[in-house]
Amino acid sequence: MTQEGHQLNAATLQARARSRRQRHIRRQRSSALSVNLTPMIDVTFLLLIFFLVTTTFEKPEGLFAANLPRDSGLSSLALPISPIVVRLTAEGDGCRICIDNFTRVPASFGDLADFLKNVQGNPGFDDQTPVVIIAEDTLAWDHVVGCWNAAVRASCKNIAFGTE
Amino acid sequence: MLSVRKTKLRRQALILSMAPMVDVVFLLLIFFALVTRFASAENVQMDLPKPEHSAAQNVQLKDRVVINCRLADPGDIGAGVLYSVGPYPPESLERISARLVVAKKAVEDLKVVIRADRRLPFAAVRVVMQVVAENRIEMMNLVAHVGEGE
Repeated sequence: MTQEGHQLNAATLQARARSRRQRHIRRQRSSALSVNLTPMIDVTFLLLIFFLVTTTFEKPEGLFAANLPRDSGLSSLALPISPIVVRLTAEGDGCRICIDNFTRVPASFGDLADFLKNVQGNPGFDDQTPVVIIAEDTLAWDHVVGCWNAAVRASCKNIAFGTE
Repeated sequence: MLSVRKTKLRRQALILSMAPMVDVVFLLLIFFALVTRFASAENVQMDLPKPEHSAAQNVQLKDRVVINCRLADPGDIGAGVLYSVGPYPPESLERISARLVVAKKAVEDLKVVIRADRRLPFAAVRVVMQVVAENRIEMMNLVAHVGEGE
């Protein structure tokens, strides 16, 4: 082997050693920077699946205050002189609305709310005029609450359930 | 030379960017974590009344007893009615009345909240109202959905 050949070999070896060192440094740097995300993703997915499975979207609930008279039961309500008596009877899946002493028959609870609102302008009636709801036993609770809601919408302050 | 290029190609084909997936997963997780409200044990799941233009007030009552009236079989209206107080299992109206007596002794200003399935006949809810009235509890509240009905 010539001297030139030896020098070339030495240069090649040096270059290889340099590149190996650089690769080693690069690897060290990259390993220092990497964060193992696997456990975090595991936990995140676990939480996500938990929430997905347990979540049920519910409709908000509200209350209608229906205070009962003191020292008396439902059947012994002391009725004032001129309450507005609303009678509800089952009619198929629907409901028939009748109002005592009034010829008008509201077609819906929206109509009933308008009627109750208009009645309050008449002499002898105001928002304190009692509204008594008398419902048929077989009538669906939904309609009874619908009637109560109509009276509340009409700003009636005294609403009660009555019995025959 | 050729083998080096092949290895590079193979390595590139295996790289999968996780960042967008993790972004989406975190977004969903934060969404669910914020909207989730754990159901109260006293509010049994049922089909509540949905009045048109509901005027029901969304208020939180203190010192309340919730009486749930629901169908024994949600799919069958004629299957009977189950009554329960708050998180307790279904029981008779006599037992519920006894519970109300105890609660009334503990809290004078007791409020009763009646949650009833919208498909129940009025008679099934009226008996509960009678029990409440017999126990001289004046503050009674009926539960309905808030917002637009059907």
